[in-house]
Amino acid sequence: MMTVAAPTTQKSEKFIVPIGPQHPALKEPGHFEFAVDGEIVTDATVRLGYVHRGIEKGTESRNWAQNLYLLERICGICSHTHAFAYVLGVEQLAEVEAPPRARAIRMVVAELERVHSHFLWLGVGAHEAGFDTLFMYSWRDRETVMDLLESLTGNRVNYSACVLGGVKFDINGEQTKGILEGLDFLEKRTHHYLNVIQQDALFLQRTRGVGVMTQQQARQLGVVGPTARASGVARDLRIDAPGQHYNDFNVNMILETDGDLAARFVVRIRDLFESYRIIREILSNMPEGDLVVKRMPRKIKAGETISRVEAPRGEAFYYIKSNGSEMPERIKVRTPTLCNMASVLTLTVGQHLADVPMILVGIDPCFSCNDRSVTVTQPSGQREHWTWEQVRRFGIEYYQRQGGQ
Amino acid sequence: MEAVKDILALLVFPGGLFVVFAGMMYEWLDRKLVARLQNRIGPRWFQPIADTVKLLAKEEVLPESVTPFFFVVLPLIALAGALTAVLYTPMVGLEPAYSFPGDLIVTVYMLSLLTLCIGLAGANTRNRFSLVGATRALTQLFAYEAPFLLALFGPAIAAGSWQIGEIAHYAESHWFIFTQPIGFLVALIGLMGKLELPPFDSPEAETEIVAGALTEYSGRGLAIFRIGKGVELVVGLTLIVTFYLGGVANPIVFFVKTIGMLVVMAALQTLLTRLRIDQTVGLWWRYGALLVLLQWAVLIVVQIA
Repeated sequence: MMTVAAPTTQKSEKFIVPIGPQHPALKEPGHFEFAVDGEIVTDATVRLGYVHRGIEKGTESRNWAQNLYLLERICGICSHTHAFAYVLGVEQLAEVEAPPRARAIRMVVAELERVHSHFLWLGVGAHEAGFDTLFMYSWRDRETVMDLLESLTGNRVNYSACVLGGVKFDINGEQTKGILEGLDFLEKRTHHYLNVIQQDALFLQRTRGVGVMTQQQARQLGVVGPTARASGVARDLRIDAPGQHYNDFNVNMILETDGDLAARFVVRIRDLFESYRIIREILSNMPEGDLVVKRMPRKIKAGETISRVEAPRGEAFYYIKSNGSEMPERIKVRTPTLCNMASVLTLTVGQHLADVPMILVGIDPCFSCNDRSVTVTQPSGQREHWTWEQVRRFGIEYYQRQGGQ
Repeated sequence: MEAVKDILALLVFPGGLFVVFAGMMYEWLDRKLVARLQNRIGPRWFQPIADTVKLLAKEEVLPESVTPFFFVVLPLIALAGALTAVLYTPMVGLEPAYSFPGDLIVTVYMLSLLTLCIGLAGANTRNRFSLVGATRALTQLFAYEAPFLLALFGPAIAAGSWQIGEIAHYAESHWFIFTQPIGFLVALIGLMGKLELPPFDSPEAETEIVAGALTEYSGRGLAIFRIGKGVELVVGLTLIVTFYLGGVANPIVFFVKTIGMLVVMAALQTLLTRLRIDQTVGLWWRYGALLVLLQWAVLIVVQIA
């Protein structure tokens, strides 16, 4: 299964530096091969799929409510986004609408999640640049928002905030006060980090003018989220497709035009300020009412729908098809990393090897979310589709074989 | 009697046991300071000793593609070079164990052996990370070495001697940090480059090339390289303090000065982002070397006048 890079031989002229599947720069397994000429990258290829978990297939043998918890586990960082997109789709199919208060709470959790994700990314980005001090400090401050999420939902990750037709918990006055205090602290820290990434001369040497993606390239490569916004492409689902989740509160587009790594840092930090503003606005105008709709059907009407949510990394896309039974016929997920991955291969060519990890991390990649398989190709070349049961059996047997060696 | 003194000097003080343990303690202090500055807890005081003991006890894996002789011998040469340098250095402010005219030149070349050995050790394997790391280590050697040498020779010119002991005595009454501030800065930052500490850690940048030239090393070889680096840290700091901060002195005063330098180095490591290798070379040749040469020019003019 795994391609092991052969040692440099006389035959190949290229000097290839393999990064991954296991490498300190990668937090999740993925395999990249960078052909280098001295320190300059001349060619790049990627191989994904090391953490394919068969979740899409798994949803087809679980009922609508069970899938909520399975889909939330697609991503450990933007777990709420997946639950959010899924419940929106299912509610569209069932023709119910969550009460206003539930929608507001969903948004609060989504924005808090964005804050935690951007802080995490800031630390990872700084670490790749060899600026560990910023890494340590930003992760320390991230604990604040993790604590807020825990106080709201009971969990630091996989919050389970959404249920079909509403949310699971209310936000009371004390929690509101806690969130506002936490946000004040974070806002102060964020101002500091914005100063650091815009003024630290050595850090700017590593980010300014590195991995530049022009607006035209960004459009051609179809990048999404902050990666696109750093190149001046106005692409934010909170504004472009408010649907039924963001139309109550206005969101400002955060745009940078430089398209380099520095712009990707700035865009995400400025995104944080926008998130703080949105959370404060929602909390001060919290609608009253129920948390869950009166009746959510167990069987969802036959039909198909698309729902999209702006994840911290960009557009999370859900296609849901129902055949009128208790279980979905097909759920298709496309995560933002898949859209952005092609840009890494384009942007690294011509750059220094030292900048490659930063350019890779610049898109905020999340490998396990974007790994998927369509068909299974046997060694004989035969292509076939597998059922959930077959995937499961293959997994069990594979690990038994590994353990038996 | 002479023989006993020689054996003590080689095995206990200043060479051998003393400097190896001093190196580990300095390494611990450096790690602890950086950790505290980064809002972390940091290691306990015996961590470097525990690391070394563990590494020495571990099996050494010999990769298939290396020349076994060089793989085993290179760490030993590196450590031997660093330990030899110790003998001509006024450790903790005492007189050097051995001395001869021109020992300064020998000492700085002994210190360079470590980097050279690391580079060769990387080039000896066929691991791509090692090869890239070795290229970077040697490139960096050519970047900082000349400015570092020039910075150490500044006090030598002023003292009119190439013997470390004599320069140290001359420096007692002349604090060169005030008369040659540029040389002091270049020497201190050059030492960081020599030891591959951040921001000059691109030869072992873990997010790019794992452990750089030493990726294939495990067990004994790695432990010896680490001990060598610790020794070099001690020797480098001692030389800088001797030359620029008041020469031979009371051991306690001298120790405090050395620790002061280590604190400055830890702060710089915390504050700065890793430089790319091309940026490192540019920094040294565009600023480091030129500034030191400028200081030399001033020095020579003053000496003649």
